[in-house]
Order: sequence, then structure tokens, then C-alpha cells
Amino acid sequence: MNLLAGRVVLWVIAFGIIAPIVIIAGVSVGASKTITFPPTALSLQWYQTLLTDPDWLRAIVTSLVVAVLAAIISVLLALAINYALWRTKSRFSKMVFSLGLGPFLLPPIILALGASLFWAELGWYGRIEATIVSHGIFFVTLPLVILSRGFAKITDEVVEAAQLMGATPVKLFRTIVLPLIMPYLLTGFAIVAIISVNEYLIANMISGFVVETLPIKIFNNVRYGYSPVVAAASMLFIGITVGVLALVARTIDLLALLGMTRDR
Amino acid sequence: MGLVPGLGGASVIRSDRAATGLVSLFSFAILAVFFLIPLAFMVVVSFYKPDPMGFYQVAFSWENYAKYFSSFYLNVTLRSLWSAGVSAVLVVVLAFFAVLAIVDLSRRWQLFWAVLLLSLMCISEVIVGFSWLILLSESAGIPRLLEVLGLWDDPRSLSPSFGAMLIGLVTLGISIVMLILLPEAANRDRSIEEAAQTLGTPPLRVVFNITLPIFAPTLLALTLTMFIYLIGVFVMPTMLGRPSDWTMTVMISDKALGDANLPLGAALAVAMLIITVVVMLLSTMVSRRRLL
Repeated sequence: MNLLAGRVVLWVIAFGIIAPIVIIAGVSVGASKTITFPPTALSLQWYQTLLTDPDWLRAIVTSLVVAVLAAIISVLLALAINYALWRTKSRFSKMVFSLGLGPFLLPPIILALGASLFWAELGWYGRIEATIVSHGIFFVTLPLVILSRGFAKITDEVVEAAQLMGATPVKLFRTIVLPLIMPYLLTGFAIVAIISVNEYLIANMISGFVVETLPIKIFNNVRYGYSPVVAAASMLFIGITVGVLALVARTIDLLALLGMTRDR
Repeated sequence: MGLVPGLGGASVIRSDRAATGLVSLFSFAILAVFFLIPLAFMVVVSFYKPDPMGFYQVAFSWENYAKYFSSFYLNVTLRSLWSAGVSAVLVVVLAFFAVLAIVDLSRRWQLFWAVLLLSLMCISEVIVGFSWLILLSESAGIPRLLEVLGLWDDPRSLSPSFGAMLIGLVTLGISIVMLILLPEAANRDRSIEEAAQTLGTPPLRVVFNITLPIFAPTLLALTLTMFIYLIGVFVMPTMLGRPSDWTMTVMISDKALGDANLPLGAALAVAMLIITVVVMLLSTMVSRRRLL
């Protein structure tokens, strides 16, 4: 069906996604200190500042540490919940699964305020561990859903065959379950890491004054007089995000993961 | 586990059940401690008294809720409902038409859109806000472009404004809605649409008379989901909106970090939680009716 209205909307959306990125890219390689587009002279100085200035470097490292550790927590938790549900199909494990969908359904500000009060009461306010744990728990929903698709692909015959041949549950898990769900595990890991690296509100409310992640630093910079370094930082971010996604697209059929297979 | 295989199937199964039960219990405990307890604690704090010197005083008072029902915060609430509602409807309408167009593209372009949308979904709202800030600015954005083209003599920044905030909110929400709608649009039953087209109905007419009614319950449920998502966005109102556009989310964060009035912030958050739950119930009612 050739729908003109659809095409027009599609072009508008493509413009809305791509134009800002082009502008940021332009600003990030411009020589001028104020934000202008198109750039009058080219320079890589803002990237240099980003990668040499200790303040920016610290924010980048903090962000990466939080993202990787939070993604590990998230994926392990999602794996535990899915494994229990797959093995027992009990009402309790179903309930735990639905509980895991909860954080995604609530506005982040509510989670953020709850978490910040909680950590303050425990005396962990301002500690990086608090940010890591909260990110890990709050972003569990996506790996939870992605892994459940992986577990659904494990057929009963394989499991029964392994059990008939005397595989213990641990061996069954190691030799059959784990290899089969590995791509889903990695996709879940990548997605949580990406979300965590980009998340502002929760990180800021839990310990933003002390643990300054890259989005917090960018936001503060934009709010209180910004320099083109912000554009360079944003480009670095977009680069990492798109790179990781392209990698994921190579290891797993993205369209199928999104449920878009037409030939069924 | 130390169990010899083949020694007794029943005991293996029993210990396996116990082990998986423990796994389930452990994951529940983690979610309870780090997700449910903070929420419950927030509700408790909303009844505490603010302490100008520190965090709060343990008490039981309705003072914070009384403040909430003063006209100022009720106004903020109505304003939040309005901006989230308008942007949610815009997001779903645009996404619907865009998705119908995408599923008719070649597989290669579909993959392009999937990666583009996933990237947009993953890119920090801080960066999305920042990029629109530049795109709407007089020195580097659309106003500057119009000036260069000679269409606008006296260019002004288009942000902060209500419109700029809406654009930001739509950009945030649209990738999610499109990614949810894509599989539904790709796998839909097209027989009626094709029949209508063969009989000579114009494409737009087919969409409005056939596709749209079929998708209506999904679209309504998505609008409500988007509403919840967009009412919680913090960055767009602060970066692209005027102070008079600031939503409940901004107020909550402001109470928690700026004014150090945590109990009032908690009360605002509880009010928002109640709104969220009501909208979620509406949303499940809508999708239930589809099953009947």
C-alpha cells in the first residue's frame, strides 16, 4: 500500500531524529567557542578537552563503571527470575516475574525519589554503590522480557533427552540452557548498559552531587552556560550507543527479536 | 549438588524444586528490598514533617497533602496532565502513520529504521533535549536557517516555549511507540485492506475506515502508556519549557534537591503514583475489552 501521508510523517520523523545529530556533530567539530552552525572553522579541540580534562574523564569512567556493574546485576536477576519461572511455572515465580515488570511501568521520578529516601535512610546517600544497585534493579524489566523470549525457544525434547541421559539440573543449566540463551543474555546486558549510561534522573537524585555521571555532567553544563565540549560528549555517547546496537544486530536477528518476522 | 544420577529420580526432582524455589524467593527478596520498600518508605515520608535543618521529622500529619491541595500544586498537576496528554496523543498518531509506511519498505530499510529507532530510544534524554535546544536556537538552528534563506529578518530562539517542550516530549516517546507498533503492523491480517483496495478505495480511506478501527484499542492503550511515561519526564520541561510549563516531575525533584522539603516532595510523588495507577487501571480495562 502506497500511503503518501505515512511517507510524509516518516520523513518528518527521520528529520526530527537525524537533524539534531547533524547539528551536534557540526558544533562538536567547530572551532568557535560559542555554539554556531554551520561551523566557520574546523577543529578537534573539544574532543581533546573531553578526553584529557580530568573532570570529563572522571565522568566518563564513572558512567562506564555504573553501567557495566548495573547491567551485571540486572541480567543476573532477570536470569534468576526467568529460570525459576521456566523450571517450575509456579504461581509465585509468575508473581515475581510480574513484579519485575513494575519498575518500567512507573514514572522514573517516583522510583528516583523512593530510592533517594531509602539510600539516605541507610546512610548510603552519595555512594556509587547506591546508584549501581538502583540502576541494576530498576532496569531489570527489559532483560527480563528479552530472556523470557530466549527461554521460550528451549524445547521440551532437548531437556527431556538430557534428563534421560542423567544430567543434573546444574549440568543441564550449564550445557543446554546457558548456551541457548547466551545471545539473549548478551542483548539484555547491552541494553541495560546503554540505558544506564544514558540515564539522568535516577542517578542524579540518588547521588548526583557526588557521583557525577556523563549525563549529569552534560545536564549541569547545559544549564549553567554550556561549551561545545557538551556536543563532543554527546557525539561520543551516540557513537557508543549506535556501535553497541550495530554489534547486537550482528549477533542476533533484531527484526525477529522485535517480533517483526513476516514469513511465519 | 552431590546427587548421583539415576539413584532416585524423585529425590533429584525434589531437591531441584527446592533449589529453584530458593532462586525465586531470593529474586523476590531483592525486588522487595530495593523496589517495594523504597516506594513504601516514600509513602511513609509523605506524612512526616519537613525539617529546615535536615531531611525530615518523624511525625504523622496531613500537612503536606493539605499543601498539595492548595491551588498552586493543583494547577501544576492539571498543567502536567495537559502537556502529557497532548504529547501522548501526538506521539501515537504520528507513530501509527509512520509505522504503516515502514512495514511496506524493503527489509534493508526496515532494519535501518529498527536501528535508528533503537538508537533514539537509547540516547539520553539529556542529549535529545540539548540537540533540540540547539536546533531551535537563533545562533545555530532553524531560525538561523530561515534567516540565511531570507525568510525571517529578525530570528528569535524558539525555545524555551510550550511548543519546544512538546517537540522534546514527542521525540522521546515516538521511538518506543513505533517499536511496539512495528510487529503488530508487520504481522497484521491484510486481507480486508487488500480487498478494499482492489475494489478501488483510495489508500487514505482504507487506513481510516479499516486499519484504524482494527488498531483503535491498541492505540488507546498505547496513548495511556505514553501518558504515564511522558508525565514523568524531567529533562524536557526544564531544558525546553518555560518555568510556567514545569510539570509535577520538576516540582518533585525541586522539593527533594532544591528546597530540601522531602516530605512535600514525597506527597507530590504519592499523588503522581495515584494518577499513574488510575491511568494503568484504565489501560488494562481498555485492553481487556479487546479480548471480549
